[in-house]
Amino acid sequence: MSQFTQQIILGLLLGGIYVAVALGFSLVWGILNIVNLAHGALVIVGAYITWLLFDRLHVDPFLSLPVDALALFVLGYALQRGVINRVIRAPLLFTFLLTFGINLVIVSLVLLIFTADFRSVTPSYSGNGLHLGSVTIPYIRLGGLAVALLLAGILWAILNRTRIGAAILAVGADRDAAQLVGIDLRHIYALTFAIGAAFAGVAGGIISTSQSITPTAGDPYTLQSFAVVILGGLGRVSATVVGGLAFGLIEVLGQSAPGLGSGYAGAIAFVVLVIVLVVRPRGLLGRLA
Amino acid sequence: MTVGSLLQVDKLTAGFGLTPVLFDVDLELQPGELVAVIGANGAGKSTLLGALSGLVRLERGSVHFGDRRISGLRPEMIVASGLVHVPQGRRLFSTMTVQRNLLLGAYRRRDGRVQQDLQRILQYFPALADKLDRDAGTLSGGEQQMVAIGRGLMARPRLLMIDEPSLGLAPKVVDRVMEIVKTINQDGTAVLLVEQDVVLALEIANRGYVLENGRIAMSGAAADLRRDPAVRKAYLGV
Repeated sequence: MSQFTQQIILGLLLGGIYVAVALGFSLVWGILNIVNLAHGALVIVGAYITWLLFDRLHVDPFLSLPVDALALFVLGYALQRGVINRVIRAPLLFTFLLTFGINLVIVSLVLLIFTADFRSVTPSYSGNGLHLGSVTIPYIRLGGLAVALLLAGILWAILNRTRIGAAILAVGADRDAAQLVGIDLRHIYALTFAIGAAFAGVAGGIISTSQSITPTAGDPYTLQSFAVVILGGLGRVSATVVGGLAFGLIEVLGQSAPGLGSGYAGAIAFVVLVIVLVVRPRGLLGRLA
Repeated sequence: MTVGSLLQVDKLTAGFGLTPVLFDVDLELQPGELVAVIGANGAGKSTLLGALSGLVRLERGSVHFGDRRISGLRPEMIVASGLVHVPQGRRLFSTMTVQRNLLLGAYRRRDGRVQQDLQRILQYFPALADKLDRDAGTLSGGEQQMVAIGRGLMARPRLLMIDEPSLGLAPKVVDRVMEIVKTINQDGTAVLLVEQDVVLALEIANRGYVLENGRIAMSGAAADLRRDPAVRKAYLGV
């Protein structure tokens, strides 16, 4: 029983990372209609910034998260305004190709700067955890989940409580109508992408505390973000939260099932994804339209 | 350019891609006027409003609004100058509340009187007052049209361009919407009304333009157009 409880907790904690990673991906997809294949690269840039600050200046990884957010926000704004905006109205294939290319460029640059060596961020508390009876909750992962939920709350508040958020949602809903109320499309596009990138950066900072990072370590997170958004549904912050947590749970519970092992983690999750697509294509909480 | 015009359109040619939809359109509107643009489906009425609000690219010609040339400006700058377009089919942000839709209309305004204006505009549309927290998509067609016009008014336009407000509405509701359009105009806002319902449009307008195959075929006082045999035959079915 306590074994099962432990698995549930580990699944939710892993899910927290998926929530953090997928929030920005989901925002950019939902508003700009871009499936951003460079998302994982943005994640890993955030991870390296956290590592750099930890390694050189001994900054606590959780304290470096705002730096990740700010740096990636600026990078994201420039990337969208300077490059991606040129194909914003082009067919999906063009944005696929372009963001795939951006991913390659960023990963190569990271490789040049940081080499392919494994890096890890190991603050003094990294091996510790909360012991409740026979169940253990690692502090690092708990902090990650807390940050993920905080990010979700911030995104929800931006979208639903601010003037800029209303403009972002308006652009996502109807570009022409948004322009007719006076919204500067180019600015909102860039801002949306910048927020998505900032969230990716923070997710990267969290990830650097729980796994070793390499320049290509972000790539799987693009795919997993995609899966989380399909699972949860597009167009709602709550859907990404539910999708991320569910994805983490499925992955952890699946590999502890009899006859399966950790090698099946990815496969199980994607089988569930296919089932969701067949049975409920709009995802667990997605909007109909 | 005619002295004192609020809107002055000269030799406007515009459209999508290679083939223009509008050819050499001349149009002029005085402050405080209510001018109707009538014409059949596909005559280019909506394209004309799109060209004026910056959504449709101009190939030739110029548009002056007040004392500024606005042709070539981005749509948000045109809105900021006081020329506001209420598009065909309402185009509300349907998953947002009525209040948020209305407030988005004031997106470019930085003055502190937005809340005050919201109350003022609700006086035109009392039916909306207790529906501010509903999602706009859940309202009836007539109410949605009111939100669309209200959203346009929230920008404090000097000229409000309304595209087919009667589309898809029950006759009684159409009358109510037209009454509101007229009241808005009487309160000082100039209106450019695009309408397929020619009878209604010429009833409330001061002047009218008849658009045929992308060209201005006729123009004049609304009362004269109503009596014109060609207009009667083509659009009134008599």
